[in-house]
Amino acid sequence: MTAVTATEVSDEERGNSQMRPAGGGRFRPSPIGWLARAVIWAGVAYLVLVVPLGQSPTDVQQFTRGVCYAVVALSLNVMLGYVGQISLGHQAFVGVGAFTSAYMVTTQGQSFWMAVFVAAAVGGAQALVLGAVSLRIRGLYFALITLSYGLVAQDNIFEIQELTGGGAGQQAPKPQWFETEWRYYYLCLAFLAIVLYVDWRMMRTKSGRALLALRENPRVASTFGINVRLATLFAFVVSGVFAGLAGALIAHNDTQVSVDVWNFNLALVFVIMTVVGGLRSRWGLVIGGAFFALLPYLIEKIPGFDELLADIPWVPRVLTPEIAPLVIGPLLLLINLIQFPGGIGQQLRPITRWLGGHRFDIHDKGPKEVQITDVRA
Amino acid sequence: MSVLEANHVSIRFGGVQACREVSVAVGEFEIVGVIGPNGAGKTTLFNLITGFFAPDAGTIFYKGRDVTSMAVHDRAALGLGRTFQNVGLVKGATVAENLVTAQHLQADYGTVSGMLGSRPSIATERRLRAKADALAGVLGLGDLIDTQVQGLPYGTLKRVEIATVLATDPDVLLLDEPSSGMGPEEAHQLGDTLLDLRKTFGLSIVMIEHHVPLVVRVCDYVYCLDFGQLLTEGPPLDVRNHPQVVAAYLGEDPDPAAVALEHQLDSLVEGN
Repeated sequence: MTAVTATEVSDEERGNSQMRPAGGGRFRPSPIGWLARAVIWAGVAYLVLVVPLGQSPTDVQQFTRGVCYAVVALSLNVMLGYVGQISLGHQAFVGVGAFTSAYMVTTQGQSFWMAVFVAAAVGGAQALVLGAVSLRIRGLYFALITLSYGLVAQDNIFEIQELTGGGAGQQAPKPQWFETEWRYYYLCLAFLAIVLYVDWRMMRTKSGRALLALRENPRVASTFGINVRLATLFAFVVSGVFAGLAGALIAHNDTQVSVDVWNFNLALVFVIMTVVGGLRSRWGLVIGGAFFALLPYLIEKIPGFDELLADIPWVPRVLTPEIAPLVIGPLLLLINLIQFPGGIGQQLRPITRWLGGHRFDIHDKGPKEVQITDVRA
Repeated sequence: MSVLEANHVSIRFGGVQACREVSVAVGEFEIVGVIGPNGAGKTTLFNLITGFFAPDAGTIFYKGRDVTSMAVHDRAALGLGRTFQNVGLVKGATVAENLVTAQHLQADYGTVSGMLGSRPSIATERRLRAKADALAGVLGLGDLIDTQVQGLPYGTLKRVEIATVLATDPDVLLLDEPSSGMGPEEAHQLGDTLLDLRKTFGLSIVMIEHHVPLVVRVCDYVYCLDFGQLLTEGPPLDVRNHPQVVAAYLGEDPDPAAVALEHQLDSLVEGN
């Protein structure tokens, strides 16, 4: 964990923080500044909202997958980014969400909305039970418990014929009004927006601040009156709810859920995309999630990219679309660890801050990372 | 009637008896000093009082309640605030964020209502931020309010920490070496600040402190610990001049036999 979070602080950053204007003189962009920002915002909105309209249904299905993975990244970020506990069993949370939703619609004849709600609730309940048992331990041991939970789920929960529909998989039709790939894409975007909003509000209220405090220093957090165990469990439940929701959205996007995709490889991809995207950076997480979801698609789609990857010397031709995230991901993770510990989010920070109406500052790398050590009282 | 009381608390870590039968009482609006050489068990005593360790024997009473087995955050909720020897702050956050985080228990909205951005939660957040600004002003941190804690000078961090612990709305303040990292001038100012804070916020203060002039000036009563035991207690000047305290700090008079041996060795070396 410390390897991911600990960084060295360059002199440049140190100098920068002292130059930061203190209180009082808040920066306000000029009208031209606002216009420039509006243009970029419009460009982003065009890319996300309008461009998919001109694409084929199979392509849009991939984009929707990107949106769903963004929700998964936000879900993992709650544990990994805010609390600093790694979950290696997230594929099980997402998978159970997917099967629950499909089961509710197909076997129980419930509406899509009810199914999504139940999937999210089941995701939270799973986290509540697993967390209540395991969150008395932290760090590596917690990671091992989630890892084993993922494997247990794979061999047990996903073997329940009634829930998973056996080898044929469970059908998960798209909801009424959202039958087309395009409409369903916008529906998923709306869900992503809700998750982003909840995450944003959480981090601006007491529950989110409690998580950041206890991640860095549980002892200090407890002297602030924060119940560390309960707050950690709360974060795990929030993470589980988001994961269940993402699972349900993935299920109805694919219209069919089968057992074999929810394996440990997927859990690794989830963790990698979250870290590469950038912990504690909502922009970075969304981009990271979408990028890894679309990676197989991009490899197939971009002409010549396939051949280019095949031509990398000494590397056997392993970059099939299925394996690509697990090869490219760790490479990006290495660059990430060495050069850009804050991931994509940190690299984009000057731009995202600027878009939010702040002054453009190319050296803005966000809060300096603090080496996490338990303060000896 | 004392607000905080430790009765014969003992704790042992493996072979080390970190506290043995230590009794401490803090009256209302009193400033109590805890002194003693390094490793005397002062911080361990704080950890017992705030709940990081459970004593092997003895009881801790706070506001007339037995809190011996109460969790740290529950004691904090009762108004027991503490600072840490090497600065207990969220260093990745700004001064303002620390001050708002410390007001965790005063954020009276529900967790879910906060996550959905309800109107009361936003109003409360605004109130917490205003209080953070006010506290920063009291401790002269107004200019640093939006600066990240990591990277601030040590003496400033100590002041930020005091502001933060005040934000938890305490009745009793336990300060672990508040003047460490400060020069004599700053330490003197800190004394004024503590006396002011006691008056403004109606606080009782317990402080572990090595800076003797500060202890003598602000403390009403002083306990001196050595090797986990209470050496002596009393008004500051009496404790300072107590022969055992002087011995504990400066070492006892040297053993005459050892001195004689040393002289012998010296002369041998010179003879060569």
